[in-house]
Amino acid sequence: MTALPPHIAPVISGQVRYSQDQELPGMLHARILRSPFAHARIVRVDASALPDGVVALLPADVRELGRYGCQIKDQSVLAFDRARYAGDPVAAVAAESAEEAEEALASIEVDYEELPAALGIDDALTAQVLVHDRIQISDNDASYFGIRPESGTNVCHRFRIAHGDIDEGFARADVIVEETFRTAAAQHAAMEPHACLASWDGDRLDLWTGTHTPFNVREDVAGVFGLPEENVRVVCPPMGGSFGAKTFVRLEALTAALARKASRPVRCVLPRSEEWVTNNRHPSLIRVRIGALEDGTLVAKDVQAWIDTGAYADCGPGVAVKIGYSVVGPYRIPNVSVESRCVYTNAPPNGAFRGFGATQAVWASESLMDRLADRLGIDPLDLRLRNVLRSGDTFCTGEAVHDVHFADCLERAASAIGWKDGRRGKGLCVLLKGMQTPSRAAIAIEAEDDGSYTLRCATAEMGQGSRRALSLVASELLGVPVEEVRFPDPDTSIVPYDTRATSSRSTYMMGRALEEAVRDLRHDGRRGVGEVRNEGGLDPDTGQGLASSHWHQGAGAAVVRVDEETGKVEVVRLHAAVYAGRVVNPPGAELQNEGSMIMGLGGALLEGVVFADGQVTNANLSDYEIPSIADMPELTHELVQQVGAEVHGLGETAVPPVPAAIGNALGSLGLHVTELPITAEAVLDAVDRRDRAAREPA
Amino acid sequence: MKVSFRLNGRPALVHAGAGENLLTVLRRDLGVLSVRETCGIGVCGACTALVDGEPISTCLLLAPLADGCEIVTVEGLPDDHAVPRAFAEAHAFQCGFCTPGMILTAAALLDENPTPTDEEIRAALAGNLCRCGCYVKIMEAVRLAAV
Repeated sequence: MTALPPHIAPVISGQVRYSQDQELPGMLHARILRSPFAHARIVRVDASALPDGVVALLPADVRELGRYGCQIKDQSVLAFDRARYAGDPVAAVAAESAEEAEEALASIEVDYEELPAALGIDDALTAQVLVHDRIQISDNDASYFGIRPESGTNVCHRFRIAHGDIDEGFARADVIVEETFRTAAAQHAAMEPHACLASWDGDRLDLWTGTHTPFNVREDVAGVFGLPEENVRVVCPPMGGSFGAKTFVRLEALTAALARKASRPVRCVLPRSEEWVTNNRHPSLIRVRIGALEDGTLVAKDVQAWIDTGAYADCGPGVAVKIGYSVVGPYRIPNVSVESRCVYTNAPPNGAFRGFGATQAVWASESLMDRLADRLGIDPLDLRLRNVLRSGDTFCTGEAVHDVHFADCLERAASAIGWKDGRRGKGLCVLLKGMQTPSRAAIAIEAEDDGSYTLRCATAEMGQGSRRALSLVASELLGVPVEEVRFPDPDTSIVPYDTRATSSRSTYMMGRALEEAVRDLRHDGRRGVGEVRNEGGLDPDTGQGLASSHWHQGAGAAVVRVDEETGKVEVVRLHAAVYAGRVVNPPGAELQNEGSMIMGLGGALLEGVVFADGQVTNANLSDYEIPSIADMPELTHELVQQVGAEVHGLGETAVPPVPAAIGNALGSLGLHVTELPITAEAVLDAVDRRDRAAREPA
Repeated sequence: MKVSFRLNGRPALVHAGAGENLLTVLRRDLGVLSVRETCGIGVCGACTALVDGEPISTCLLLAPLADGCEIVTVEGLPDDHAVPRAFAEAHAFQCGFCTPGMILTAAALLDENPTPTDEEIRAALAGNLCRCGCYVKIMEAVRLAAV
């Protein structure tokens, strides 16, 4: 019996040691005390009854520490004046065991004075509650574009696209359709919760933490403690999934502050229910108006979008930007106006979520494309093909697009579900998704004495398979078996700087940096370093510039059956066609596509965070359902490749088309839904609306 | 209280609180980190172990109730067991957090039903969640292990 390959054996035999499994001698275990109120003044925190041997971190301990926030510095280590959401940390404890820490939480008394709260986007735009009195833009590397707060409101960023002449565009249109779409908050629900281990040696801090943004974390945590960045070391053990949840500072600042107070290493492994008050996907409210000529040529699109970033901005401003151009879709539209706003509310913070705004944007824009097709009496596939961006066309950002395959992806998706044989119960969707631009990536290769090579880079492994993909690229470039390539856990004290392992950029960007590093190694013999940058970015006030140095492209197709008595939607078939350029690691690429589609299926039909008075009411995996193997439809997909093409990231592209394709499949039955997730109640309402309309005289 | 059972073929003796679950004891006292807590309420299967041959959510089983039982975690499967081999061959994992539980549940299924239909595989594995969404390849792996 042959042994399993070394990149597989630890996984299969259960020997992977994740962030939550890290330990140090003398380590204490942390638990967090959280506000039960969505918005409250913290009047008094009394820890005088704390059991012996338990250390508490209290507001007085953090008042003098710096604030953090990757785009806006709006978060303190604990809430010390106001709790801004139900779940906002107000104290934390460390004890010999997690159970003792949990019990010790009850010994801390907090008096609150409840304040009116802004619950949801509508509330935050109209209510007299200001979640933050002032906005301090972050100098973190993740704050890479002009942030435009609207002073005196809860809007912390407004992104705008102005392209062509929107009034003239609509004046030319023969048909105009308009609709408002909403999406609920969703929870990443990675199998491994957030976990962090912090240890101090004098004024040097070591963090072993589940993050794929180690340098952003280092910068923010150093700022909190007023330390040079070099004094903070961030190590990234493998993560049991992230899907965007484990980006930027989550538990790191709090765990480090607790460890400093305890003078002992402290580990914080988040209890499952607290995942829902740590990071969710942005709820959205998107109004889209689109105009076309009789023959289906698009002439104008006007979008007003709002996303609920919760009590702390996190990367919400960035999500608003990505929504801003994703919502235009992969189409030639001469006149475009977009305003996309990121809004503070008294909800738990919302942040990066696989798709990064594209899910919300595509839901709105691609649902409306089918309404337009209906009104025009044109096949939805033909309408898309008539307008879809082709190589050399200009996008609404003013940039020309190249190496684009939207039409090909669409045709493949349509053909997979037998579009030509009848459209009832079938839906299509096409999307474009940007990659982090600007950014930089760097990697070092070291030749070891035993003839092997070590890769040192900041690309963390969360299941996406980057470690395997980059090892395979290195093996090919170096001409050695992949077993001779080692890839230790990222450690900011020894790896070169990288923007972050997000936006499906690592295989592409780090792969290119690796080519440079191998060239450099040939000169030096022992060590090679490669660095690449992708330049660009958009003007926040006009949306003009370069949104993405290349495009993630895909299309989805769904076939549904609906039980009109119960409102139950059964997805019988899902297909996605995603442009891969060139595939580096076939099983890894397939898994990314399949996993994305299944996550999209959950977002379409099952997943929405439910709130009552600002408190999450379904913060567990029995009330918040994620897809199981029993929910699987017949699921197929294609990775579209082209000889000589560059690698395109695949981590997220197949998420956003799934909900919109399912929604459009419902639309083909006359059932129009506008909100995600698509609930049975919404389907029953849609059945009523359709049947009422059929009874009414035209 | 003292609890003794066999773990992966060897005798084990632990001191467990009356309210402590088997998952805590396996991880804390016996260093078995392949059983993992995700939901803590018995819906996700990440903490699955075979208890007298049955796949059990160890987060729900009080440790004292495991007294006298035969407990198998993924470390206890023989090296040539078909199921882990098939999971490796089909690349039926991404982050790997759910993989040990998935493998144990599939192994128990195949013990009882060596030639399951797809429907039977789905029914047996519905209590093991994989958020990475590796279900296509997990189905392939179980079919592969079955032949």
